[in-house]
Amino acid sequence: MADSPTVDFTGILQALLSNQVDFVVVGGVSAVLNGAPISTFDLDIVHSRAPDNIERLLQALEELNARYRQRPNQRPDRGHLSSSGHQLLSTRSGPLDVLGTIGRGLGYEELVTCSVEHEVSGEMKIRVLNLDTLIEIKEELDSEKDRAVLPILRRALKTIQDSNK
Amino acid sequence: MDSESFEGSFRVSDESPEAEYGDDGVDLTLIRWMLSLTPAERLQVLQQNVRSIEKLRGRFSNR
Repeated sequence: MADSPTVDFTGILQALLSNQVDFVVVGGVSAVLNGAPISTFDLDIVHSRAPDNIERLLQALEELNARYRQRPNQRPDRGHLSSSGHQLLSTRSGPLDVLGTIGRGLGYEELVTCSVEHEVSGEMKIRVLNLDTLIEIKEELDSEKDRAVLPILRRALKTIQDSNK
Repeated sequence: MDSESFEGSFRVSDESPEAEYGDDGVDLTLIRWMLSLTPAERLQVLQQNVRSIEKLRGRFSNR
């Protein structure tokens, strides 16, 4: 990364919402919003790859001055955002991973049904992947990074379930 | 106080609502604390943590 902007997840979310982008927050930030005490340095989202949403996302990314973390001279385009691939970006408000699909090819349409709405600032409401699904996906991925955080996610889920009994 | 009696005085059964750690070593007090916050407050905590680490990184890289 050429520079290190102050991480402002709220600022990134605000840019996405003000452009009416359809997305679900996944990854570490979704774990935190669900109450798991972990840390992360980037915001991961899965976006709708419908053509009109891609246009809105491009506008939001333009406002955020989004560029590839490994190729700072390159900006994501329609082709990149229409794919199922992962766009690892740096923005003026911190790192943002824009993901076409996660896990076993799960896209926005599948994930939005496994999400909950959270209010994160003022009247800012976002869709966030639920803890059950996040755990399932991390179990499937089975990477060392995911295995490290799974005990905390499972404990958080169990605590929530116990408190609802 | 040796380490065994120290642990014994603080750690209670995993099944107890007062347990501080799970049998997997997870700090249950942190989970309860996070769950006591609103999602907006949780996001603020995360951002403050990240910024604190960034400041520390800056401090060390300037040495």
